[in-house]
Amino acid sequence: MAVDADVVRLRRGDLNALSELITRYQNRLYRYLLRIVRQPAEAEDLFQQTWLRVVEKIRSFDASRNFDAWLFTLARNLAIDHLRRIRPESLDEPLANSWHSENVADRISSKDHTPLDHALAAERRTEISEAMAGLPMIYREVLTLRFEDEMKIEEIAQVTAVPVSTVKSRLRRSLEQLRYALEARYPGGTWQ
Amino acid sequence: MNEHDKIRELLALAVANALTSAEEKQVAEHVRSCIACSNELEAWRPIASELRRLPTPQPSSWLVQATLARAEAKFTEQAEHDWNHRLMIIVVAFAWLLTIASWAVFHVVSGRFERLLGPQFSHTWISFAAFTALEWLAGGVAAVMLAIRQRGERRLA
Repeated sequence: MAVDADVVRLRRGDLNALSELITRYQNRLYRYLLRIVRQPAEAEDLFQQTWLRVVEKIRSFDASRNFDAWLFTLARNLAIDHLRRIRPESLDEPLANSWHSENVADRISSKDHTPLDHALAAERRTEISEAMAGLPMIYREVLTLRFEDEMKIEEIAQVTAVPVSTVKSRLRRSLEQLRYALEARYPGGTWQ
Repeated sequence: MNEHDKIRELLALAVANALTSAEEKQVAEHVRSCIACSNELEAWRPIASELRRLPTPQPSSWLVQATLARAEAKFTEQAEHDWNHRLMIIVVAFAWLLTIASWAVFHVVSGRFERLLGPQFSHTWISFAAFTALEWLAGGVAAVMLAIRQRGERRLA
């Protein structure tokens, strides 16, 4: 509801609404872009480009539509164009090195209590992050949208411009590949 | 594909909460009686759980501020562009109106002097048309020069 009001205000030319929208979506949008391009510098550039595109296109945005899906679609199109231009192979191929730039402290969740729990949890997340970074772009994308962003399947279908059945199929394959990758790295389920 | 295999394919989607209510019911019923699928479902759970708990990378405050500044500049530029566009439409409409009106006025005035002008009349019409075309051409050149200057100023800014 609040987002809708901000979008309406932005369409009327209210710059404060733009500031509120950027603040509201900054973490989700940056994370999504980082998961796709895997390079923080590129994600930062695309983050800026996405908001410039929002300003450019906001008048043509249909207010009855889902703003989240529209915003992520703009970001996705820019990211894919960027990857096609810079590293065409990265749309399908996994990356050799880990993409993430967070340190161990960032990875520790407040739900983990003892220092040992913290260390183990951090280790598990490192493993999952690395395995996820090794997946093709469309699988990383669907995983981040479903698990990290908690988007509905229908919303993911809107963002990725594919049918719901394709989203489900990608989701299943991405999870399977992630699990295989983890099991290959840590035979016997030791990563758990 | 038998029932067991079908259910097994749904287990990954089950931990992603991506099943329809009918599929959820089907899976729940099956895993109650199938130990293999029950174990498989349990094997998926930590993966889903860890994916949900991955830390969110934070953009730097510098990035947010820089984005805001650039977006605001773009917004202002866009507003200026829209205003210029509207102004241009009004000016063009006014110019057309003036031209059409001047032709009507000329027609009335020329009617009075038609007899006096005699054979020169057609030359007068041609001259008037040439003058109008010249006016439009000068206007077009001025508009292009103005646009080039504005673009140059924007680039310098």
